[in-house]
Amino acid sequence: MVEAFAVASGKGGTGKTTSALALGMALAEDHDVTVVDADTGMANLLFHAGLADVDATLHDLLVEEPDRPVSDAVYERHGMSVVPCGTSLAGFSDARPERLRTVVAELAADTDVILLDSPAALGSKSAVLPIVLADRTITVLQPTVPALSDGLKVGEYARSYGTEGAGVLFNRVTDESAVERVAESSDRYFDGPVLGVVPESEAVRAAREAGKPLLAHAPDSPAAEAYCRAADTLAVDAGDADAVADRFASAVVPDPP
Amino acid sequence: MTAHGGRLLHSRVVSDLGSVLERALDRAITGYATVEPQDVLLLDAEGVGVVALERGVPVAARHTGTGRVGREALAELSVPGPCRVELYERDRPVPFADEPATRIPPGLPADRLVRDADLANRTRSAAADRGTGERTDADALEAFLTDDERVEAIQREAREEARERAATWGLENALVEADADGADVD
Repeated sequence: MVEAFAVASGKGGTGKTTSALALGMALAEDHDVTVVDADTGMANLLFHAGLADVDATLHDLLVEEPDRPVSDAVYERHGMSVVPCGTSLAGFSDARPERLRTVVAELAADTDVILLDSPAALGSKSAVLPIVLADRTITVLQPTVPALSDGLKVGEYARSYGTEGAGVLFNRVTDESAVERVAESSDRYFDGPVLGVVPESEAVRAAREAGKPLLAHAPDSPAAEAYCRAADTLAVDAGDADAVADRFASAVVPDPP
Repeated sequence: MTAHGGRLLHSRVVSDLGSVLERALDRAITGYATVEPQDVLLLDAEGVGVVALERGVPVAARHTGTGRVGREALAELSVPGPCRVELYERDRPVPFADEPATRIPPGLPADRLVRDADLANRTRSAAADRGTGERTDADALEAFLTDDERVEAIQREAREEARERAATWGLENALVEADADGADVD
Protein backbone atom coordinates (compact mmCIF):
# COMPACT_ATOMS: atom_id res chain seq x y z
CA MET A 1 0.00 0.00 0.00
CA VAL A 2 1.44 3.32 -1.01
CA GLU A 3 0.51 6.95 -1.60
CA ALA A 4 2.60 9.10 -3.94
CA PHE A 5 2.90 12.85 -3.35
CA ALA A 6 4.38 15.41 -5.74
CA VAL A 7 6.10 18.19 -3.81
CA ALA A 8 5.73 21.05 -6.29
CA SER A 9 5.66 24.82 -6.49
CA GLY A 10 5.87 26.06 -10.08
CA LYS A 11 8.61 28.45 -9.00
CA GLY A 12 12.24 27.99 -7.99
CA GLY A 13 13.64 28.91 -4.62
CA THR A 14 10.58 28.09 -2.55
CA GLY A 15 12.32 25.24 -0.72
CA LYS A 16 10.82 22.16 -2.34
CA THR A 17 13.80 19.91 -1.71
CA THR A 18 14.15 21.04 1.89
CA SER A 19 10.41 20.48 2.30
CA ALA A 20 10.39 17.04 0.66
CA LEU A 21 13.17 15.77 2.91
CA ALA A 22 11.75 17.41 6.03
CA LEU A 23 8.26 16.03 5.45
CA GLY A 24 9.84 12.68 4.57
CA MET A 25 11.75 12.51 7.82
CA ALA A 26 8.73 13.58 9.84
CA LEU A 27 6.46 11.05 8.10
CA ALA A 28 9.11 8.36 8.58
CA GLU A 29 8.21 8.35 12.27
CA ASP A 30 5.07 6.39 11.39
CA HIS A 31 5.55 5.26 7.78
CA ASP A 32 8.07 3.72 5.42
CA VAL A 33 9.01 6.72 3.29
CA THR A 34 10.85 7.01 -0.02
CA VAL A 35 11.93 10.43 -1.28
CA VAL A 36 12.70 10.58 -5.01
CA ASP A 37 14.49 13.46 -6.71
CA ALA A 38 12.32 14.06 -9.75
CA ASP A 39 13.73 17.54 -10.34
CA THR A 40 14.90 16.75 -13.81
CA GLY A 41 16.60 20.00 -14.66
CA MET A 42 18.27 20.82 -11.37
CA ALA A 43 18.86 17.73 -9.30
CA ASN A 44 19.97 18.84 -5.87
CA LEU A 45 18.45 16.42 -3.41
CA LEU A 46 21.71 14.53 -3.30
CA PHE A 47 23.45 17.59 -1.86
CA HIS A 48 20.77 18.06 0.78
CA ALA A 49 20.92 14.42 1.81
CA GLY A 50 24.69 13.92 1.91
CA LEU A 51 24.65 11.78 -1.25
CA ALA A 52 26.86 13.92 -3.48
CA ASP A 53 29.41 11.13 -4.02
CA VAL A 54 27.13 8.17 -4.59
CA ASP A 55 27.66 5.82 -7.48
CA ALA A 56 24.17 5.06 -8.81
CA THR A 57 21.22 7.41 -9.28
CA LEU A 58 17.74 7.34 -10.79
CA HIS A 59 19.19 8.59 -14.03
CA ASP A 60 21.45 5.53 -14.22
CA LEU A 61 18.50 3.21 -13.68
CA LEU A 62 16.36 4.79 -16.35
CA VAL A 63 18.79 5.87 -19.03
CA GLU A 64 22.41 4.88 -18.59
CA GLU A 65 22.32 1.40 -17.06
CA PRO A 66 18.80 -0.02 -17.27
CA ASP A 67 19.93 -3.47 -16.18
CA ARG A 68 21.22 -2.23 -12.88
CA PRO A 69 19.21 -3.33 -9.80
CA VAL A 70 16.83 -0.65 -8.52
CA SER A 71 18.21 -1.09 -5.05
CA ASP A 72 21.56 0.27 -6.25
CA ALA A 73 20.06 3.78 -6.40
CA VAL A 74 18.13 3.58 -3.12
CA TYR A 75 19.99 4.89 -0.10
CA GLU A 76 18.85 4.47 3.47
CA ARG A 77 19.43 7.79 5.17
CA HIS A 78 17.91 9.41 8.24
CA GLY A 79 15.25 6.74 8.65
CA MET A 80 13.98 6.91 5.08
CA SER A 81 14.87 5.69 1.59
CA VAL A 82 16.33 8.34 -0.69
CA VAL A 83 16.62 8.06 -4.47
CA PRO A 84 18.80 10.86 -5.80
CA CYS A 85 18.91 12.01 -9.40
CA GLY A 86 22.50 12.56 -10.38
CA THR A 87 22.22 14.37 -13.68
CA SER A 88 19.55 15.85 -15.88
CA LEU A 89 16.72 13.55 -16.81
CA ALA A 90 16.28 15.32 -20.12
CA GLY A 91 16.30 11.87 -21.71
CA PHE A 92 13.47 10.70 -19.47
CA SER A 93 11.16 10.14 -22.41
CA ASP A 94 13.80 7.92 -24.01
CA ALA A 95 13.91 5.63 -20.99
CA ARG A 96 12.45 2.20 -21.48
CA PRO A 97 8.91 2.43 -20.12
CA GLU A 98 8.94 -1.13 -18.84
CA ARG A 99 12.07 -0.30 -16.92
CA LEU A 100 10.48 2.76 -15.42
CA ARG A 101 7.48 0.74 -14.39
CA THR A 102 9.78 -1.80 -12.76
CA VAL A 103 11.60 0.91 -10.86
CA VAL A 104 8.41 2.47 -9.58
CA ALA A 105 6.79 -0.84 -8.85
CA GLU A 106 9.79 -1.87 -6.79
CA LEU A 107 9.83 1.41 -4.93
CA ALA A 108 6.07 1.28 -4.37
CA ALA A 109 6.21 -2.29 -3.07
CA ASP A 110 8.56 -1.44 -0.25
CA THR A 111 7.19 1.83 1.02
CA ASP A 112 4.06 3.55 2.37
CA VAL A 113 4.79 7.04 1.11
CA ILE A 114 6.60 8.24 -2.02
CA LEU A 115 7.54 11.92 -2.09
CA LEU A 116 8.50 13.19 -5.55
CA ASP A 117 10.66 16.31 -5.32
CA SER A 118 9.40 18.03 -8.46
CA PRO A 119 10.97 20.47 -10.91
CA ALA A 120 10.32 24.17 -10.46
CA ALA A 121 8.83 25.02 -13.84
CA LEU A 122 6.03 23.34 -15.77
CA GLY A 123 7.57 23.75 -19.20
CA SER A 124 8.47 20.17 -20.12
CA LYS A 125 6.99 16.71 -20.05
CA SER A 126 9.45 15.46 -17.48
CA ALA A 127 8.64 18.46 -15.30
CA VAL A 128 4.92 17.75 -15.15
CA LEU A 129 5.24 13.97 -14.83
CA PRO A 130 5.46 14.01 -11.02
CA ILE A 131 2.18 15.94 -10.91
CA VAL A 132 0.64 13.57 -13.46
CA LEU A 133 1.75 10.46 -11.60
CA ALA A 134 1.17 11.41 -7.99
CA ASP A 135 -1.98 10.68 -6.02
CA ARG A 136 -1.83 14.12 -4.45
CA THR A 137 0.19 17.31 -4.77
CA ILE A 138 1.76 19.27 -1.92
CA THR A 139 2.21 22.83 -3.16
CA VAL A 140 5.06 24.76 -1.54
CA LEU A 141 4.35 28.50 -1.58
CA GLN A 142 6.63 31.33 -0.69
CA PRO A 143 4.37 34.19 0.40
CA THR A 144 4.93 36.42 -2.61
CA VAL A 145 2.49 37.27 -5.36
CA PRO A 146 4.53 35.60 -8.16
CA ALA A 147 4.90 32.43 -6.08
CA LEU A 148 1.18 32.31 -5.34
CA SER A 149 0.49 32.85 -9.02
CA ASP A 150 2.75 29.95 -9.98
CA GLY A 151 1.21 27.83 -7.24
CA LEU A 152 -2.21 28.42 -8.76
CA LYS A 153 -0.86 27.11 -12.07
CA VAL A 154 0.39 23.95 -10.36
CA GLY A 155 -3.09 23.50 -8.92
CA GLU A 156 -4.71 23.73 -12.34
CA TYR A 157 -2.22 21.34 -13.91
CA ALA A 158 -2.91 18.87 -11.10
CA ARG A 159 -6.67 19.16 -11.52
CA SER A 160 -6.30 18.67 -15.27
CA TYR A 161 -4.65 15.33 -14.59
CA GLY A 162 -7.04 14.34 -11.84
CA THR A 163 -4.37 14.68 -9.15
CA GLU A 164 -5.82 15.86 -5.88
CA GLY A 165 -4.40 18.63 -3.73
CA ALA A 166 -3.02 17.50 -0.38
CA GLY A 167 -2.71 21.12 0.70
CA VAL A 168 -0.33 24.04 0.63
CA LEU A 169 2.77 24.65 2.69
CA PHE A 170 3.76 28.27 3.15
CA ASN A 171 7.55 28.28 3.33
CA ARG A 172 10.30 30.82 3.97
CA VAL A 173 7.80 32.96 5.82
CA THR A 174 9.08 36.18 7.36
CA ASP A 175 5.72 37.65 8.39
CA GLU A 176 3.56 34.95 9.89
CA SER A 177 0.63 37.25 10.55
CA ALA A 178 0.54 38.17 6.87
CA VAL A 179 0.21 34.51 5.91
CA GLU A 180 -2.46 33.92 8.53
CA ARG A 181 -4.44 36.76 7.01
CA VAL A 182 -4.30 35.27 3.53
CA ALA A 183 -4.75 31.63 4.56
CA GLU A 184 -8.52 31.92 4.44
CA SER A 185 -8.42 33.38 0.94
CA SER A 186 -5.94 30.73 -0.18
CA ASP A 187 -8.42 28.03 0.87
CA ARG A 188 -10.76 29.25 -1.82
CA TYR A 189 -8.30 28.63 -4.62
CA PHE A 190 -5.97 25.88 -3.50
CA ASP A 191 -7.14 22.32 -3.00
CA GLY A 192 -6.63 20.99 0.49
CA PRO A 193 -5.78 22.71 3.76
CA VAL A 194 -2.88 24.94 4.73
CA LEU A 195 -0.57 22.19 5.95
CA GLY A 196 1.83 24.51 7.67
CA VAL A 197 3.59 27.84 7.89
CA VAL A 198 7.36 27.36 7.94
CA PRO A 199 9.43 30.37 9.02
CA GLU A 200 12.47 31.57 7.08
CA SER A 201 15.40 30.02 8.91
CA GLU A 202 19.14 30.25 8.95
CA ALA A 203 19.09 26.60 10.02
CA VAL A 204 17.90 25.62 6.53
CA ARG A 205 20.97 27.08 4.88
CA ALA A 206 23.23 25.58 7.53
CA ALA A 207 21.64 22.15 7.03
CA ARG A 208 22.15 22.38 3.29
CA GLU A 209 25.82 23.27 3.77
CA ALA A 210 26.20 20.36 6.18
CA GLY A 211 24.66 18.01 3.59
CA LYS A 212 21.92 16.98 6.01
CA PRO A 213 18.14 17.26 5.98
CA LEU A 214 16.86 20.04 8.23
CA LEU A 215 15.28 17.62 10.69
CA ALA A 216 18.63 15.85 11.13
CA HIS A 217 20.69 19.01 11.40
CA ALA A 218 18.43 21.22 13.52
CA PRO A 219 15.48 19.16 14.78
CA ASP A 220 14.57 21.72 17.44
CA SER A 221 14.53 24.72 15.09
CA PRO A 222 11.18 26.45 14.61
CA ALA A 223 11.27 25.50 10.91
CA ALA A 224 11.80 21.80 11.72
CA GLU A 225 8.96 21.87 14.22
CA ALA A 226 6.68 23.50 11.65
CA TYR A 227 7.47 20.69 9.18
CA CYS A 228 6.62 18.09 11.83
CA ARG A 229 3.27 19.71 12.45
CA ALA A 230 2.65 19.84 8.69
CA ALA A 231 3.40 16.12 8.41
CA ASP A 232 0.90 15.45 11.20
CA THR A 233 -1.73 17.37 9.22
CA LEU A 234 -1.01 15.30 6.12
CA ALA A 235 -3.16 12.20 6.57
CA VAL A 236 -1.57 9.51 4.43
CA ASP A 237 -4.14 7.54 2.49
CA ALA A 238 -2.21 4.63 1.09
CA GLY A 239 -3.65 2.97 -2.00
CA ASP A 240 -2.74 -0.06 -4.05
CA ALA A 241 0.95 -0.22 -4.98
CA ASP A 242 0.31 -1.86 -8.35
CA ALA A 243 -2.10 0.91 -9.29
CA VAL A 244 0.57 3.52 -8.65
CA ALA A 245 3.08 1.58 -10.72
CA ASP A 246 0.59 1.13 -13.54
CA ARG A 247 -0.13 4.83 -13.57
CA PHE A 248 3.55 5.66 -13.93
CA ALA A 249 3.91 3.32 -16.88
CA SER A 250 0.72 4.31 -18.65
CA ALA A 251 1.46 8.02 -18.35
CA VAL A 252 4.80 7.59 -20.07
CA VAL A 253 3.38 5.45 -22.85
CA PRO A 254 -0.24 6.43 -23.31
CA ASP A 255 -2.63 3.83 -24.61
CA PRO A 256 -3.75 4.42 -28.18
CA PRO A 257 -7.10 6.27 -28.36
CA MET B 1 1.89 70.20 -6.91
CA THR B 2 2.90 66.70 -5.79
CA ALA B 3 6.48 67.45 -4.77
CA HIS B 4 7.72 64.28 -6.45
CA GLY B 5 9.53 66.10 -9.26
CA GLY B 6 10.68 64.18 -12.30
CA ARG B 7 10.47 64.86 -16.04
CA LEU B 8 7.04 65.76 -17.40
CA LEU B 9 6.36 63.46 -20.38
CA HIS B 10 2.74 64.13 -21.02
CA SER B 11 0.02 66.53 -19.92
CA ARG B 12 -3.47 66.69 -21.33
CA VAL B 13 -7.15 66.45 -20.61
CA VAL B 14 -8.43 62.97 -21.52
CA SER B 15 -11.72 61.14 -21.35
CA ASP B 16 -10.13 58.32 -19.37
CA LEU B 17 -6.75 57.12 -18.14
CA GLY B 18 -6.38 54.29 -20.65
CA SER B 19 -3.99 55.95 -23.07
CA VAL B 20 -1.72 57.20 -20.28
CA LEU B 21 -1.58 53.84 -18.47
CA GLU B 22 -0.89 52.14 -21.78
CA ARG B 23 1.89 54.55 -22.66
CA ALA B 24 3.50 54.12 -19.24
CA LEU B 25 3.23 50.34 -19.53
CA ASP B 26 4.62 50.12 -23.06
CA ARG B 27 7.56 52.37 -22.19
CA ALA B 28 8.11 50.75 -18.77
CA ILE B 29 8.13 54.16 -17.14
CA THR B 30 9.07 54.51 -13.50
CA GLY B 31 7.55 57.60 -11.94
CA TYR B 32 3.95 58.61 -11.43
CA ALA B 33 0.82 59.94 -13.02
CA THR B 34 -1.30 62.69 -11.51
CA VAL B 35 -5.02 62.53 -12.14
CA GLU B 36 -7.34 65.48 -11.66
CA PRO B 37 -10.99 64.73 -12.43
CA GLN B 38 -12.91 67.56 -14.03
CA ASP B 39 -15.41 67.78 -11.21
CA VAL B 40 -12.50 68.71 -8.98
CA LEU B 41 -11.61 71.47 -11.41
CA LEU B 42 -15.16 72.75 -11.39
CA LEU B 43 -15.46 72.54 -7.64
CA ASP B 44 -12.06 74.07 -7.15
CA ALA B 45 -11.24 71.27 -4.71
CA GLU B 46 -7.65 70.80 -3.72
CA GLY B 47 -5.31 67.98 -4.50
CA VAL B 48 -4.83 65.34 -7.16
CA GLY B 49 -4.68 61.59 -7.30
CA VAL B 50 -1.17 60.22 -7.69
CA VAL B 51 -0.61 56.76 -9.14
CA ALA B 52 2.94 55.50 -8.58
CA LEU B 53 4.51 53.51 -11.42
CA GLU B 54 7.36 51.04 -11.33
CA ARG B 55 8.61 49.91 -14.72
CA GLY B 56 5.28 50.90 -16.21
CA VAL B 57 3.20 49.06 -13.62
CA PRO B 58 0.87 50.95 -11.25
CA VAL B 59 1.93 49.88 -7.76
CA ALA B 60 0.57 52.45 -5.28
CA ALA B 61 -1.83 55.40 -5.04
CA ARG B 62 -2.69 58.31 -2.81
CA HIS B 63 -4.70 61.50 -3.00
CA THR B 64 -2.87 64.67 -2.05
CA GLY B 65 -6.04 66.51 -1.08
CA THR B 66 -7.89 63.96 1.03
CA GLY B 67 -4.88 61.95 2.17
CA ARG B 68 -6.60 58.71 1.20
CA VAL B 69 -4.29 55.94 0.02
CA GLY B 70 -4.35 52.63 -1.86
CA ARG B 71 -7.70 51.42 -3.18
CA GLU B 72 -9.55 54.28 -1.49
CA ALA B 73 -7.48 56.82 -3.36
CA LEU B 74 -8.35 55.11 -6.62
CA ALA B 75 -12.04 55.09 -5.68
CA GLU B 76 -11.92 58.86 -5.40
CA LEU B 77 -10.70 59.06 -8.97
CA SER B 78 -13.44 56.78 -10.24
CA VAL B 79 -15.73 59.55 -11.46
CA PRO B 80 -17.11 59.91 -14.95
CA GLY B 81 -15.98 62.64 -17.30
CA PRO B 82 -12.70 64.04 -18.49
CA CYS B 83 -9.68 64.51 -16.29
CA ARG B 84 -6.32 66.18 -16.58
CA VAL B 85 -3.51 63.66 -16.53
CA GLU B 86 0.20 64.35 -16.23
CA LEU B 87 2.82 61.64 -16.57
CA TYR B 88 6.20 62.10 -14.93
CA GLU B 89 9.30 59.96 -15.20
CA ARG B 90 11.72 59.62 -12.30
CA ASP B 91 14.95 57.72 -11.77
CA ARG B 92 13.48 56.01 -8.72
CA PRO B 93 9.97 55.08 -7.60
CA VAL B 94 8.17 57.75 -5.58
CA PRO B 95 8.85 57.32 -1.83
CA PHE B 96 5.24 56.78 -0.77
CA ALA B 97 5.13 53.57 -2.81
CA ASP B 98 7.14 51.94 -0.03
CA GLU B 99 4.29 52.37 2.42
CA PRO B 100 2.25 49.13 2.50
CA ALA B 101 -1.08 50.95 2.91
CA THR B 102 -0.62 52.74 -0.41
CA ARG B 103 -0.04 49.59 -2.47
CA ILE B 104 -2.60 48.59 -5.08
CA PRO B 105 -2.96 45.52 -7.29
CA PRO B 106 -1.26 46.36 -10.62
CA GLY B 107 -4.35 45.78 -12.74
CA LEU B 108 -6.71 47.76 -10.53
CA PRO B 109 -6.44 51.19 -12.24
CA ALA B 110 -7.14 49.64 -15.66
CA ASP B 111 -9.99 47.58 -14.21
CA ARG B 112 -11.67 50.25 -12.15
CA LEU B 113 -10.80 53.55 -13.79
CA VAL B 114 -10.69 52.52 -17.44
CA ARG B 115 -12.73 49.29 -17.39
CA ASP B 116 -10.32 47.79 -19.90
CA ALA B 117 -9.87 44.10 -19.05
CA ASP B 118 -7.27 43.57 -21.77
CA LEU B 119 -5.09 46.40 -20.48
CA ALA B 120 -5.54 45.09 -16.92
CA ASN B 121 -4.38 41.63 -17.97
CA ARG B 122 -1.41 43.03 -19.86
CA THR B 123 -0.50 45.06 -16.80
CA ARG B 124 -0.66 42.01 -14.53
CA SER B 125 1.50 40.01 -16.92
CA ALA B 126 4.01 42.85 -17.04
CA ALA B 127 4.01 43.05 -13.24
CA ALA B 128 4.87 39.36 -13.05
CA ASP B 129 7.48 39.57 -15.83
CA ARG B 130 9.12 42.68 -14.46
CA GLY B 131 9.07 41.51 -10.85
CA THR B 132 7.16 44.53 -9.63
CA GLY B 133 4.62 42.30 -7.91
CA GLU B 134 7.28 40.74 -5.67
CA ARG B 135 5.73 41.83 -2.40
CA THR B 136 5.53 39.84 0.80
CA ASP B 137 3.30 42.13 2.82
CA ALA B 138 -0.16 41.00 3.75
CA ASP B 139 -1.87 43.74 1.80
CA ALA B 140 -0.29 42.67 -1.47
CA LEU B 141 -1.05 38.98 -0.86
CA GLU B 142 -4.57 39.67 0.24
CA ALA B 143 -5.20 41.99 -2.68
CA PHE B 144 -4.02 39.24 -5.00
CA LEU B 145 -6.07 36.45 -3.47
CA THR B 146 -9.24 38.53 -3.25
CA ASP B 147 -8.97 39.67 -6.86
CA ASP B 148 -11.26 36.94 -8.15
CA GLU B 149 -11.04 38.00 -11.78
CA ARG B 150 -7.27 37.90 -11.76
CA VAL B 151 -7.05 34.54 -9.99
CA GLU B 152 -9.65 33.01 -12.26
CA ALA B 153 -7.83 34.34 -15.32
CA ILE B 154 -4.60 32.70 -14.15
CA GLN B 155 -6.42 29.44 -13.50
CA ARG B 156 -8.17 29.52 -16.85
CA GLU B 157 -4.95 30.15 -18.73
CA ALA B 158 -3.16 27.39 -16.80
CA ARG B 159 -5.97 24.96 -17.54
CA GLU B 160 -5.82 25.71 -21.25
CA GLU B 161 -2.02 25.53 -21.23
CA ALA B 162 -2.07 22.18 -19.42
CA ARG B 163 -4.35 20.69 -22.07
CA GLU B 164 -2.42 22.13 -24.99
CA ARG B 165 0.87 20.86 -23.61
CA ALA B 166 -0.60 17.45 -22.79
CA ALA B 167 -1.33 17.07 -26.48
CA THR B 168 2.24 18.06 -27.36
CA TRP B 169 3.74 15.66 -24.83
CA GLY B 170 1.50 12.68 -25.55
CA LEU B 171 -0.13 12.87 -22.13
CA GLU B 172 -3.72 13.35 -23.32
CA ASN B 173 -4.79 10.01 -21.95
CA ALA B 174 -3.70 11.02 -18.47
CA LEU B 175 -6.02 14.05 -18.55
CA VAL B 176 -9.38 13.92 -16.87
CA GLU B 177 -12.37 15.22 -18.77
CA ALA B 178 -13.49 18.78 -18.24
CA ASP B 179 -17.10 19.91 -18.22
CA ALA B 180 -18.43 22.89 -20.13
CA ASP B 181 -17.30 25.31 -17.42
CA GLY B 182 -13.76 24.03 -17.55
CA ALA B 183 -14.02 22.28 -14.20
CA ASP B 184 -12.66 18.77 -14.13
CA VAL B 185 -15.02 15.87 -13.68
CA ASP B 186 -14.26 12.24 -13.00
